Amino acid sequence: MSNLILAGSAEGWLVALSVLLIIVGIVAIAVMSVRIARIVRSMRTPQAVVGKWDLSAGDEGFDAEKAQKREKTKHILKNVFVYIFLTLCALLAFLPFYWMLMSSVKTEMEFRESVPTFFPHTFQWKNYWMVFHQVTSTSGANASFGQILLNTIIVGLLSTFLGLVLIVVTAYALARMEFKGKNILFALMLATMMIPGELFTVSNYITVAKAHMNNTYTVLILPFLVSVYYIYLLRNNFMQIPNSLYQAAKVDGLSDLGYLIKVMIPLTAPTLISITLLRFIGTWNSYIWPRLVNEKSWQMITNWVTGGFVDRVQATSPWGDNWSIYDKFYGDSQPLDTLKMAAVCMVSLPLLVLFIFCRRYIMRGVSKSGTKG
Amino acid sequence: MMEENDNIGTPQEPPKKHNKFVQYFINLGARIKGWFVDKYTAVKDFFCGLFHKKTEEEKALEYSGPQLSRGEKFRRGLKSQSGWLFVAPALVLMAVFTFYPIIAAFVNSFKQSYSGMTGKFNGWGIDNFVRVLKGDTGTGGADFVQCLVNTLILTFISVPLSTLLALLISVALNSIKRVQKAYQTILFLPYLTNALAMGAVFATFFKIIGTQNNTETVGLVNIVLGWFGVDPIDWVGLRSPHWQIGSLSIPWAKYVVTIIYEVWSGLPFKILILFSAMQSINKQYYDAAKVDGASRWTVLWHITAPMIMPQISYLLVTGIMGGMKQYSAIVGLFGVTMGQDYDMGTMVGYLYNYIELGQTGYAFAGSLILFVIIMIITYFNNKITKKRTTYR
Repeated sequence: MSNLILAGSAEGWLVALSVLLIIVGIVAIAVMSVRIARIVRSMRTPQAVVGKWDLSAGDEGFDAEKAQKREKTKHILKNVFVYIFLTLCALLAFLPFYWMLMSSVKTEMEFRESVPTFFPHTFQWKNYWMVFHQVTSTSGANASFGQILLNTIIVGLLSTFLGLVLIVVTAYALARMEFKGKNILFALMLATMMIPGELFTVSNYITVAKAHMNNTYTVLILPFLVSVYYIYLLRNNFMQIPNSLYQAAKVDGLSDLGYLIKVMIPLTAPTLISITLLRFIGTWNSYIWPRLVNEKSWQMITNWVTGGFVDRVQATSPWGDNWSIYDKFYGDSQPLDTLKMAAVCMVSLPLLVLFIFCRRYIMRGVSKSGTKG
Repeated sequence: MMEENDNIGTPQEPPKKHNKFVQYFINLGARIKGWFVDKYTAVKDFFCGLFHKKTEEEKALEYSGPQLSRGEKFRRGLKSQSGWLFVAPALVLMAVFTFYPIIAAFVNSFKQSYSGMTGKFNGWGIDNFVRVLKGDTGTGGADFVQCLVNTLILTFISVPLSTLLALLISVALNSIKRVQKAYQTILFLPYLTNALAMGAVFATFFKIIGTQNNTETVGLVNIVLGWFGVDPIDWVGLRSPHWQIGSLSIPWAKYVVTIIYEVWSGLPFKILILFSAMQSINKQYYDAAKVDGASRWTVLWHITAPMIMPQISYLLVTGIMGGMKQYSAIVGLFGVTMGQDYDMGTMVGYLYNYIELGQTGYAFAGSLILFVIIMIITYFNNKITKKRTTYR
């Protein structure tokens, strides 16, 4: 115990964490002891507990005011316990984000201290600048951030937009149009959802290589354009729109395409927005396929994060010539964790910002589909 | 009055009960007979329709528009099939990237020493499967049995653990009234992250960074463990402790790290599903329980748990499916080589490993084995969940 306090006195946050842990422990013990005491009491005098609502047990042992007070205390105690538990969970859920943000602005020396600091002594914003200007490193070539970001945005937008058009058109045909073999086709599409996607990857890799499509954007977009689950989701949404609307639109002289654009899409807008967001997030997070088929400069932003980051940049920094401060300690070939954390921040923060603005749509989309993209 | 009601309500004489065995064959016979009767009537209707001469009235009912020329009929027929035009783009893409690969995987996995690029192979056989299962691929790649064991252990520990924790948190979340939304939002944050990026962050919690310039970071987790007198453990590095069982290595320290990461990243989705399921339970049940004086645990076990059972089983099924396909988190935590000598390899990692080594035959065989394993698990999942989810 004394050891714990001593270790904590070095850093304020350790004290805070340990105090929190102690409080949770005490509350847990208190709650448990109340429960155990009640069980013991009930074992000693069974009728007293059983007869809580039993009038025949007699009135002399039952004090309404006291019981009410006890109920109230119990309620408050329970609430306190629940809030502490939730706060602890929320803190643990948030800790990695906080750690990521703080590590990204530490100096490498501070990052490697034996007792890590909870709040950086010195903010080194230079880390971001260095990561931004990584071109090649001695530990494996890595593409520049600008190139990678361009790749990701082009592929993300194209694949989201084209995929959405494809999904809407296919779902419309499956929901509203009559043609021979429609049901068989739909069943066949749904059956492919059962098969793990990894089964396709090997063949697709060979197909792409044989067609000489490596190192293009096409290869990142085409294989994932059709998403059976979203077609299924949207088809069900379209089916819910009453048929009388269609007939009314026909009477007003609207074509099939006009009906799709002017009536169906506005009515299913929430689902479409959710699908758009989830698809974009999925593209942003794609890692395996780009790594397999494309070279470094054609890959996506997640591939870029896994590379090593060193402090050697091939440009003149605004801090003058003295930019390479770690060289004398670690050499220029060793990947630095602070730079990596800065890169991780640059990849993760856009998603968090997106979440803050589109929380409603993302959460609804996720609870419906249960996929990331 | 009462007696009258009773008379109305009395059930009729129940049908005679055979024993189970006999009943099975009776049902089977009835079913077979039904099948034949259906077929017979269908065939009879068809032939009767062929020889039936239509009366004038029937013809009038059938079609009352103007007579169409052959070309016009054809054009109209084509127009009624225009739905194919709408699904064509999706169909073409699926044919190339979904349907063809399924067939190719089944065919190519039986070609011995198959090279995907040149298409050359050395006779047919089950050589690929034997070598994959034996671990005798002769390329220094990942070991299949090791990958399978890792995947199974990680999945069957982390999925129930995170589901249980999610259940606890959503019960707690459901019982409070203020700032519910705020907690929900914060707890949902980990969902939107990138497995590789966050894996790298988690690795820093556990990593021992070298001892240069007399400074050494043993990592946050080791510091916390140090308070309780536990010596620093190299969780993710080269000296990570492991148990050896024959040729199989059990790197338990790395398992712990991976499971912690997976619980953290798996919780948000599970909380979202369970919490919204709890919110949609009819409040009348709780009121009724309150009137009956049920305790909180009774309410939890006899009302809440049965009502959200479908969601729990859904989460377990999807969680296990996802767990069998895990890969990105391992790369984020342990790098592209999946630990030391692929000792943290997963089944999907195995496939990619062999694609990158250029041994597509083994990759095909591995993907087919993965497919079979997932099908088996799906089958058992369906069997178990059908029994449990009676409240759907």
